[in-house]
Amino acid sequence: MLSTIERRLSATLRDARRTAARRFFVDRQTGLWRSELAWLGVRSRDHARVTAVLEETPDTRTLVLEPPRGWVPHRPGQWTRVEIELAGVRTSRCYSLSSAPHDPELRITVKRVANGRVSGRLHTLRVGDALRISPAEGQFVLPTHPVRLLLLSGGSGITPMRSMWRALLQSDAADVVIVHHARTRADVIFAAELEALATRRGFRVVVRLDDEHARPGEGGFDVGALRTAVPDLEEREVFVCGPPAMMRRVEAMGLPRLHVERFAAMPRPAADPDATEVLVTLGGHASPGGRTIAARTDGALLDQLEAAGERPASGCRMGLCRTCSCLKRSGTVRHAISGAISDAPDEIIQLCVSVPCTDVELGPIVQHAVHAAPDERASERTLDPREKLARRSAQKVDPR
Amino acid sequence: MDTQSIETSGRFDPANGAVTSVVTSDATRDVTRSPMSPTTELRPAHGKSSRRLSRDEADALGRELDAIRAEVLADLGERDVAHIRAVMKAAGAASIAGRTLLHFGIDPVTFVLGTSALGLAKILENMEIGHNVMHGQYDWTGDPALRGDTYEWDIVCPGDDWRSSHNYEHHTFTNILGKDRDIGYQFLRVADEQPWELRHLAQPVTALALAVFFEWGVGMHDLRVAETTRGEQSLAELGRRSGPFLAKAGWQIAKDYVVFPLLAGPNAPRVLAGNVLANVARNLWTFSVIFCGHFPEGVRVYSEEETKDESRGEWYVRQINGSANLEGSRWMHLMTGHLSHQIEHHLFPDLPAARYPEIAPRVREICERYGQVYATGSLPTQLADVAKRIVRLSWPRRAKRAPSAAVA
Ligand SMILES: Cc1cc2nc3c(=O)[nH]c(=O)nc-3n(C[C@H](O)[C@H](O)[C@H](O)COP(=O)(O)OP(=O)(O)OC[C@H]3O[C@@H](n4cnc5c(N)ncnc54)[C@H](O)[C@@H]3O)c2cc1C
Ligand code: FES
Repeated sequence: MLSTIERRLSATLRDARRTAARRFFVDRQTGLWRSELAWLGVRSRDHARVTAVLEETPDTRTLVLEPPRGWVPHRPGQWTRVEIELAGVRTSRCYSLSSAPHDPELRITVKRVANGRVSGRLHTLRVGDALRISPAEGQFVLPTHPVRLLLLSGGSGITPMRSMWRALLQSDAADVVIVHHARTRADVIFAAELEALATRRGFRVVVRLDDEHARPGEGGFDVGALRTAVPDLEEREVFVCGPPAMMRRVEAMGLPRLHVERFAAMPRPAADPDATEVLVTLGGHASPGGRTIAARTDGALLDQLEAAGERPASGCRMGLCRTCSCLKRSGTVRHAISGAISDAPDEIIQLCVSVPCTDVELGPIVQHAVHAAPDERASERTLDPREKLARRSAQKVDPR
Repeated sequence: MDTQSIETSGRFDPANGAVTSVVTSDATRDVTRSPMSPTTELRPAHGKSSRRLSRDEADALGRELDAIRAEVLADLGERDVAHIRAVMKAAGAASIAGRTLLHFGIDPVTFVLGTSALGLAKILENMEIGHNVMHGQYDWTGDPALRGDTYEWDIVCPGDDWRSSHNYEHHTFTNILGKDRDIGYQFLRVADEQPWELRHLAQPVTALALAVFFEWGVGMHDLRVAETTRGEQSLAELGRRSGPFLAKAGWQIAKDYVVFPLLAGPNAPRVLAGNVLANVARNLWTFSVIFCGHFPEGVRVYSEEETKDESRGEWYVRQINGSANLEGSRWMHLMTGHLSHQIEHHLFPDLPAARYPEIAPRVREICERYGQVYATGSLPTQLADVAKRIVRLSWPRRAKRAPSAAVA
């Protein structure tokens, strides 16, 4: 009881301090200098610092990070949104944390994707560089009670698995099978660790290489081989993360306890010749009065808003992370993956997987940023009067 | 869906332009336009006047401007972010240096230096940073520190009031009499078309007072005090509008006139004086820049009727004819927040202002080709022009010097 009051009080004081700081030392200066100081090595709440760069395979590197100040330990399997600036534009991507929660440092392991904007830039980082990361998120996490597990991965999909097996090493009741697929021996990420792991009690490691094991022309993952390697498959809690083709085949097996994590963005819905044009109205837009853009009925709202110059916050871009969640005031949208229809007013939708079917009116859109600093969030409350203006002026006839 | 209510902001989008410009046929428009009332006649600008453009010509001009806009948008990048951050850091450093000199110095030299540095910081913050960031010019970066819709600047005017009265009303209804509340800030007569009233006799003095207390004028602008006294706005509404203003003004007064002076202990009077002077210097400067942007001779006002069903191209034409530029050095442009490129700013309010000097020659060339006056002059000439105009218009009839007397 007392502690709640205390907490409230200290929160109020903190808010007051922040407001005062903003008013006395011009608004954004604090945010600006925070980023500057991060590069000078001062720890901050939203910047992690690279303390080591490890070469895992020819195209994969691990960034060892000093966590931001106040970092809440993640759960094994979770990811963080990494944000960097590309040509002046903040751009973020999700990366699974490959370190265990109890490890002293954070790790992300990044595979360089051909022409990849963010992965390419992350590969240029050096010791001492700072990068913004968000608090850990994700539902692809190790169960808290001991169970029999299968960790099934392909390529860079092994990253969340490392976090899990390192957490499992802490407990002595582990019963884990690790099946990992890679193209060649040289492409096996964490190869040495997997080798060491194979000798531990309770761990079994199977590494399958496309160039050595796969039947010619079949390439990659094979359900039959998996069943042979792990006969008690159905009794295990299965965690899978890998290339889309592999994920599809595993999902088709109908396993009872399957957990999936997807890295690669959904294939974009193909352009539909029958698609029509609809109007999407954005509430609480930076320019009072809101903004209306023309959109097509064959593409996700997120892509179309971006094409129109908007910068809605996004993360996974495939309906997982909910970074792009937005209030839909009216109109009908279709879920790009499940096909589910949302036609009721005032429903929360995810922009990245919502395809408009009719004119759509959206609420305020969260702008792109890893996570707004608390003082920014406080000032978002002031959006209200402008929203009112937006509604007022929407009724007026525009002179243009 | 009502096509005309599609885009109600000062923001343009080529995609929308296509939608919004389908309004009325030319035949209907000509009826609403003619006969031209004398008030809508073009005034000569330094001996020249803009050619009347047909809608097709205006739209062609609009397309050329859209192309410039698209080009700049595609080119935005590192350099723009680096520029605004450098200015932010400079303003922050100048403010710290200024306050330090005022607090710890005892001699007149540090007083002058400190006050100047603080004034400089405030000017940079209000003009190049605050005004431009609040226009959303850097929203594309996704950096919360450069976000337009939450920025709060170092002036008594609350950011949200500014965003509605300036970004939306002034930029959408630029120089439309009766709709643009920035014309003479509702109490100065700056255009012949405004009816003369007795109180205008005092306007040379009121204008000077406005210059000195400009931030208060800007801050109270959106309270609509005049409208309330005329009975057009309820007292309750005035009260509602006053809340944010009083809160913001409270913070500003506390900062510059109470807390910082008190922190200086025995140096309090010196700090207070320095802060007052810095604020006044900023007020005079911003007043000058802004009045030169819209009220020198040659800039015209529009009637509500003539802009009723304006196309996107015609909207561009109105922005050109409703604004005037200032000539000067690179530093002068920076100190005005690039509002010295008022024409470019009004055409492209959401492009980073530091880009205006780069596109200005092309905009000017387009204006010349279409016979539109590209009003420009040095700060002293334009300021003198504005002063003359304010004095001249304080009298009911025009001075003999005005050759274009269409209305008497
Ligand atoms: C929850 C989650 C966790 C993730 N964890 C990791 C991780 O631990 N390690 C890691 O390396 N990546 C991880 N990713 C993928 C990562 O977020 C990026 O998608 C990837 O790094 C590519 O980004 P980019 O900016 O370099 O490529 P972009 O510039 O966005 O894309 C360039 C090209 O590569 C293609 N492409 C994009 N992503 C992939 C991909 N994953 N595989 C193949 N082609 C692709 C695109 O279609 C495009 O053609 C994760 C993704 C999610 C959603
Ligand atoms: S971006 Fe992750 S749910 Fe849409």
